[in-house]
Amino acid sequence: MEEAAVAFTEVSKVYPGEVKALDRISLRIPRGEWVAVMGPSGSGKTTFLNLLDGLDRPTSGQVQLLGTNIADLAPAEAAVFRRENIGLVFQQFYLIPYLTVLENVMLAQYFHSMVDEGQALEMLESVGMGHRASHLPSQLSGGEQQRACIARALVNDPGIILADEPTGNLDEANEEKVFEIFRELHRGGKTIIVVTHDRVLGNLAQRRIVLNHGRIAEDTYNGNRAGECTASIVG
Amino acid sequence: MFFRLLANSLARRMSRKLLAAFAVWVGISLILAFLAVSIDVGDKMNRELQAFGSNIRLEPVAASVPVRVGGHDVPSTAPPAYLEEGELVTLKRIFWKNNILGVVPRLWTRGKTEGREVPLLGVWFEHKIPVEGGEPFATGARRLYKHWKVEGSWPSDRPAGGRISSLVGDTLARKLGVRPGDAIRVTVPSGPATIAVDGIASTGGREDDAIILPLAAAQALAGREGKYSEADISALTTPENKLAEKYGQDPKSLTPAEYERWFCTPYPGSVAAEIQKSVPGSAARVVRKVSETQGAILTRIEGLMFLLAMLTLVACGLSVAGVLTSAVLERREEVALMQAIGASRESVLLLFLSEGAVLGLAGGLLAAATGSFLGQWLVRAVFGSEPELHPALAVLSPFLGLMIVLAGSIWPVWQALNQDTAAVLHGN
Ligand SMILES: Nc1ncnc2c1ncn2[C@@H]1O[C@H](COP(=O)(O)OP(=O)(O)OP(=O)(O)O)[C@@H](O)[C@H]1O
Ligand SMILES: [Mg+2]
Repeated sequence: MEEAAVAFTEVSKVYPGEVKALDRISLRIPRGEWVAVMGPSGSGKTTFLNLLDGLDRPTSGQVQLLGTNIADLAPAEAAVFRRENIGLVFQQFYLIPYLTVLENVMLAQYFHSMVDEGQALEMLESVGMGHRASHLPSQLSGGEQQRACIARALVNDPGIILADEPTGNLDEANEEKVFEIFRELHRGGKTIIVVTHDRVLGNLAQRRIVLNHGRIAEDTYNGNRAGECTASIVG
Repeated sequence: MFFRLLANSLARRMSRKLLAAFAVWVGISLILAFLAVSIDVGDKMNRELQAFGSNIRLEPVAASVPVRVGGHDVPSTAPPAYLEEGELVTLKRIFWKNNILGVVPRLWTRGKTEGREVPLLGVWFEHKIPVEGGEPFATGARRLYKHWKVEGSWPSDRPAGGRISSLVGDTLARKLGVRPGDAIRVTVPSGPATIAVDGIASTGGREDDAIILPLAAAQALAGREGKYSEADISALTTPENKLAEKYGQDPKSLTPAEYERWFCTPYPGSVAAEIQKSVPGSAARVVRKVSETQGAILTRIEGLMFLLAMLTLVACGLSVAGVLTSAVLERREEVALMQAIGASRESVLLLFLSEGAVLGLAGGLLAAATGSFLGQWLVRAVFGSEPELHPALAVLSPFLGLMIVLAGSIWPVWQALNQDTAAVLHGN
């Protein structure tokens, strides 16, 4: 069987004060899959993503990304793994305030390997932000900042994209633009894991995982129960 | 990209960084000023101690308290009240001859002017002692009494026309109402004499009440040719230490080896002993010079200034650390973000420390200018003397700035690097 993009085995995350954010979760996400993670506030969605990107570690169980056990990596190795394989879009738009939009994108290139201004600009154009490249984040609207963040997440061409509420603060027009970007990425064969409250975005995804109190309450492929048609999708 | 990052970070987020650079600037300026004073004090002190102040007083045995030479009491034969001027040449023949920097024989006598009795003091103003097989040794009051302030001109030992020239102590000059260029009529047992006033001397000593004239003239007026009553000698000596102290307490307690060492070290005591041996009927005693007491005070000022500089360094370091800590804490999200998008610790550390380095260097460079300025002003204010320039301090300044800022920022940056990135970014 092909190596999965993500494999969780009996993963639990307990925060100080006995807060069980994730409770013995097991799941597999094959490469190229577009997954929407949904669920009420506090159900453990962000925690789930943090375990994936290696910023956080599970209390018990195993998290594997592309066959690598993230917990086994030293912090420096985890940083390398992250910049090679993962593009992160945050719940809030974290841009560096004293850098222009273009420079923010280039920063990811700088930490990754080489700065390529032309490519960074192309990336911004692909999310419809080419004309705002030389603006500071404070001069942008929320939707524009979010798209700049997406451009930064994509500039190093990662295999896996993790997004936390990418449309949470956007109006419909901006939302539609972000949906289009994700559709495009999916067509390009990227693995996309997006946390969202947005039903439309949830329905666009191939697969929907609903968390509740740190457990998987629902796991469906376009409305069918997982397991039932996994074989056909994974092929 | 790195420099773009650095430049933008510095240019677009100024306020707090300016505060840090300002703290560095003020702190190092003070440090430099204190150090400048400390160094100047040291220089000044050395110069003062090297100046030919007399530190040994030679007197006839009778006039002196019993003195021990090399641990033996000198037999007190019939004590002459005066010493022989001619025997002073032996000073340049003794073991420590090269340590003898100056000598002035002095003869005290009395005369009357305007119905009041005045002390007359004969000295060598400028004199040459012949040295076997060498240049004559030039000495005299003018060289030895550097601290005398003379208004008018220094007299010569043998003025043209056979007149007697003199300095008048300033206290006496005020009483007599004389000025340089005046003449004083003095009556001595052998008759009247006219003394020309070349200058008014402020000496801070007994001489302020006296008329100071060439030794030969005083001898003639007193009828004591070739005699003097005491001599001030300046000798280059080594500061006393434990050994000298031990000798001072009880010379017999020294082991032969220690005695040898004591004898061969130019402690004031050993030089004085040697002089006493070479001049018959004399007693040499070590004079604790005023400048030595001053020296002790100056040493303390020097230490104090150094201490102040160090304390300022600590205070400055702490305040810079405080400013930088809050500046870095303010940027925790930025650090977390950089780490989340794959920055290594090293690259984040490099960025923050470089920023700090720029601030530290800037503050230090500014301080190099203001610090030396402040230091010069302080030296002038405290000592009233012309300050030295200290290029070394100016060079030190940017380095100090660098060190302070790096020391102050390493800890907060390290903290930020070790923070819980996930928690910071997700605002939980
Ligand atoms: N650092 C932490 N320390 C303690 N408890 C935490 C921490 N982070 C999260 N939690 C708790 O863990 C649970 C899951 O949090 P998580 O952020 O994963 O929820 P979420 O599904 O992302 O919610 P939201 O939709 O509001 O973003 C919550 O009850 C939360 O209070
Ligand atoms: Mg969340």
